[in-house]
Amino acid sequence: MNTASKLLIVRGITKLAKQPSSPLMGFGMSLFFLLVYNAGIGGIGSLDAFGEAGYLAFIFPITIISLAMGSSAGAGQTLNADMQSGYFKRLYLSPAPRWILVVAPMLADILSSFLFTGILLAIGAIFGMPFQYGAWSVLGVLLLSILWSVTLCGFSAGIMLRTGQHQTAAIVTNAVFPLLFLSTTFLPRELIDAKWLLTVSWGNPVTYILEANRYLLGGTSPAAFLWIAFLIFTLTSAISIAYALGSAKKIKV
Amino acid sequence: MSAEIQIKNLRKTYPGGVEALKGIDLEIGTGQLFALLGPNGAGKSTLIKIMTTLTRKDSGDFYIGGLNPETRFSEVQKHIGVASQENELDPGETVGHLLQFQGRLFGMTKKQAKGRAEELIRLFQLDSERNKKASVLSGGNKRRLHCALALVHKPAILFLDEPTVGMDPLARLSFWNAITALNGSDKVTVLLTTQYLEEAEKYASSMALIIDGEIHFSGTVTEFKKRVHPDENLSLEESYLAYISSLKTTEN
Repeated sequence: MNTASKLLIVRGITKLAKQPSSPLMGFGMSLFFLLVYNAGIGGIGSLDAFGEAGYLAFIFPITIISLAMGSSAGAGQTLNADMQSGYFKRLYLSPAPRWILVVAPMLADILSSFLFTGILLAIGAIFGMPFQYGAWSVLGVLLLSILWSVTLCGFSAGIMLRTGQHQTAAIVTNAVFPLLFLSTTFLPRELIDAKWLLTVSWGNPVTYILEANRYLLGGTSPAAFLWIAFLIFTLTSAISIAYALGSAKKIKV
Repeated sequence: MSAEIQIKNLRKTYPGGVEALKGIDLEIGTGQLFALLGPNGAGKSTLIKIMTTLTRKDSGDFYIGGLNPETRFSEVQKHIGVASQENELDPGETVGHLLQFQGRLFGMTKKQAKGRAEELIRLFQLDSERNKKASVLSGGNKRRLHCALALVHKPAILFLDEPTVGMDPLARLSFWNAITALNGSDKVTVLLTTQYLEEAEKYASSMALIIDGEIHFSGTVTEFKKRVHPDENLSLEESYLAYISSLKTTEN
């Protein structure tokens, strides 16, 4: 990687650090979910369906998912700010490879998601959340979080680049939001009565990342979910990056 | 004189069928201060965008410093500096930081970038602005910084697309002093587009007139004036207006 590329990555991170509203919003939303759901309905964790891990380990994955959802617009917003000011054109005329102009703010988003996931895990540990496989659980949760974050911020940046409007960077979050409710988000499969919801949840990718995290934390889901989740989100990450880079080629500077 | 910019039968049609360039042939020699003149929508900016790799051509060839931009992109980027019509500044960064960052992007060490930033701050008289964010600069100072950024890496060719728009007369004078000094001492080739024809007449050694995507004239400013009115000593602006009027009359 050449110096120009490294400088642009550092710039992306610095920009995000200077204007952290997007990741902080994601973090705040996640923490809110964790505290409110655990305090409000955490008592149902004593039901057999939750196993020994309790409700905290069950609800925790939703905080990881909402973290990236809240902060995924960051890359799109950074790109939009550069395009609005015209500075993107100056960077475009530098010897840096043009793909790095798009990837740099995405990397900043992913790094922030990684850091805040780490903080959330620490908070979870303080609240007594189990880590079924110790350090491997932490590593697995972080890796899934990165793949989820790449998926969201790549599409978010790509849509923003194609439309040129910063408002559209949040489209991905809005599109994914209903998926949270069409899955085993709040209750285990055994406690959901609606057959249609159970059917839909099998086709919902959010289900697999939720259950994969539950396998890693409380050990309440089968291991197969973990491998399927890695497969799905490696694929969606690759598609998302390709979409963002393809969008960069369509920019009119 | 060797050709720093060579353009051969360059064509560009925008979606919707607008033919912006209809087979442009042009050569610009090393160290020339070359003015590309023409009415709005003539194709000047499109030509500059293609040469600076911002837009793709449809057909034809062009070489920058003997390099083909399609195969040697990174080298061409280091060879050229671009100051386009709009300011391209990061509003949240200071003058000093922007200049140094630009130098670092072009491969300078921190020390080199800092030294070069100081040189340009002096050259463009931005001393009192160095710690100010770009967002709070006056219009003229933004323009100076914009042009200074194009020069950080000491390009061999400088593309100036209406560079003095929005500058007051004093700022324009100091800008041109800086550009002519670079053109004179460092032999920087300058390709300029401007609607201020008195600037072109005063500073350009050669010119081309582009109208409706076609080159109507290429040569020295004096040659153009003589071609329009061989017996009268008209200014470039008068000659230009006379030429455009004659074209309209012919069309009618």
